[in-house]
Amino acid sequence: MSRILADIKGFGRQYLRSKVGAFFTFAFPILLILLFGAIFSASGNQKVSMSVQNLDGSSFSVAYMNELNSTTLVDIKMIPADANITNYINDNSLSLALQIPANFGSRIADGLGSNYSGPVLVTIYGDKSQSTFGTAVAAVQAASVSFNYNLSRTLPLVAPDVQGLKEGYKFLDYFLPGVVGITVMTNSLFSMSTICAEYRQRGFFKLLATTKLRKHEWLISKFVFFSIILILSLLTTFAVASATFGTHSTITLLALVMIPAGAFLFVSLGMLLGVAIKDPESGAAVANAIGFPMMFLSGSFFPLDTMPHFLQVVATALPLTYFNNGLRDTMVYGNTGGALANLAVVLVIGVVFFVLSSRLMSWKER
Amino acid sequence: MHGAIIDVENLSKHYPPDVKAVDGISFEIKSGQIFSMLGPNGAGKTTTVEILEGLRNPTSGTATIFGIDVTRDYTKIRDKVGILPQNFEPFDELKPPEAVEYWAGLYDKKMSRKDIGQLLEKVNLSGRKNSVSKKLSGGEKRKLGIALSLINEPEVLFLDEPTTGLDPKARRDLWALILDIRKKGTTVFLTTHYLDEAEKLADDVAIMHKGKIIARDSPEELIRKHAKLTVIVLVGIGPDGLKEIKRRGIEATTEADGDILVPVNDPSEMRTIFQKLSGIELKVTDMYTRRQTLEDVFLDLVGAKMEEGDLKQ
Repeated sequence: MSRILADIKGFGRQYLRSKVGAFFTFAFPILLILLFGAIFSASGNQKVSMSVQNLDGSSFSVAYMNELNSTTLVDIKMIPADANITNYINDNSLSLALQIPANFGSRIADGLGSNYSGPVLVTIYGDKSQSTFGTAVAAVQAASVSFNYNLSRTLPLVAPDVQGLKEGYKFLDYFLPGVVGITVMTNSLFSMSTICAEYRQRGFFKLLATTKLRKHEWLISKFVFFSIILILSLLTTFAVASATFGTHSTITLLALVMIPAGAFLFVSLGMLLGVAIKDPESGAAVANAIGFPMMFLSGSFFPLDTMPHFLQVVATALPLTYFNNGLRDTMVYGNTGGALANLAVVLVIGVVFFVLSSRLMSWKER
Repeated sequence: MHGAIIDVENLSKHYPPDVKAVDGISFEIKSGQIFSMLGPNGAGKTTTVEILEGLRNPTSGTATIFGIDVTRDYTKIRDKVGILPQNFEPFDELKPPEAVEYWAGLYDKKMSRKDIGQLLEKVNLSGRKNSVSKKLSGGEKRKLGIALSLINEPEVLFLDEPTTGLDPKARRDLWALILDIRKKGTTVFLTTHYLDEAEKLADDVAIMHKGKIIARDSPEELIRKHAKLTVIVLVGIGPDGLKEIKRRGIEATTEADGDILVPVNDPSEMRTIFQKLSGIELKVTDMYTRRQTLEDVFLDLVGAKMEEGDLKQ
């Protein structure tokens, strides 16, 4: 234990005094949050994923869904009819959903007859701060107009009703976990891969091998060190985002648990890469080659729903996706179950990387 | 009389397909000595040292320190061994006292500020305790490396080419430090490709070439065996002068620069040789005596000179 503490202290001094380390730990996430906060204040018009619960099942509701689909603005995923929609939204960390009421078909039929009593309301559950919200409302409005025109030409048979989710939340609330995810990955993965290569090139590993410090103790000390500074980084970034943009996401205990889990995963991955890398320049190149695509494809900057389907499939293979999702689940959606599931995935991948890296890494020469 | 502290028997390290980095060497090192493994780059010095440091496994043979097989039980002797690796560079952002504190922690050792100060004093780094390591000079970095290697107060200290790349003053400073360490009873295993360094520091020298030890003795004995202790150097007499000298029965050779060397096998012969030379009419521009060095030994054994570790024909 004393050797681990000695290594944390010695390595920590070295790391934090290097301008690169301090920049990527503290300045980089703050810069990202400030830049993207300014850039992403407006919403865009991209195709969005929308979950729909059809409580009706009549041919009218099917026709309405066809209209919705023909707008080409949304990808429809179905919510089971027997699910409680608010629980379902919460449990699945959805930011958009549409509910077609149970009496949809009969009321349309009544309206087409002589018993018109106003439009049937289809309910959009959405978060107004999300960039996808405007697209979703536009799609439902367009589908409603088209549906009304096709059936009656004159009467507004269907109209959208908006139920806000997470009122008061901003885009940055959703972006903040992504920034934290990027920070955890860049610091742990990029640092460890280059540190391993540098230690090998400069003979530090050989030197360490002659001390009483064991390899697993060295790995644990890196994990503990990165966990501590990344929790500090999260708190700092959160404070800046909150003070500057008035974000409402919360730092939960689970979020504070997610940080060490992420550090464990990416420190282990960095060491695994470091096994094969011979010099620091190659280490940086390999870490960038793996880290940068992962940064963009794992939903750090924008929702996965807005990406093409094949990229969404790719995202499921990226560990950062689960880390980002877990943080969003707990910090934004309050979805503890989802966060725990993502935490489990992060830990399992981390254990696999840790075992592989500690088995394959050698401080000695062959 | 000191006993052997390091014992190496038939040690080999081969790499596929046919590289024999170390090729069946045997030697023992006595306690309290400075043992120097001398040889050009690629001779197998570092491979040998790293086997003794438990950092490489040999292909065959045994290596023991304090009677412990280093390939199997290195951890048992770790507390008694200090190591300065080749091309040592300290951690850039740590100040010398911080580096010492850090390294002591990795040996489960707590050092007070006073202890750290004394250790830095010992290696003449007290004046640089507020500078981060990357701002230290090359010599100061090696001194810090030696300080780190002394943290566990080792009985055996491995110094792998400690002065390579340093300026002459820094080299001399380190030599003084190494001699001081030996004076306190520590056995020093020094690898070097500097002939003058081995001659100046070592009690015992093994010359290594192509994975083998080709000569082994004290510097004086090596010079006595493989070169003449003293030569008379005649400058400017040319090939005709050489012929004349040889005609008078005096042994002589020509150096690459044209100077004539007349070896003196025994100091008592010096007077006789000078008398013979004075009887010859030579157009000498300069004449002096020179004590032979390990450089001459190396030239005799390998047939090439060594400059910065590389062989020059």
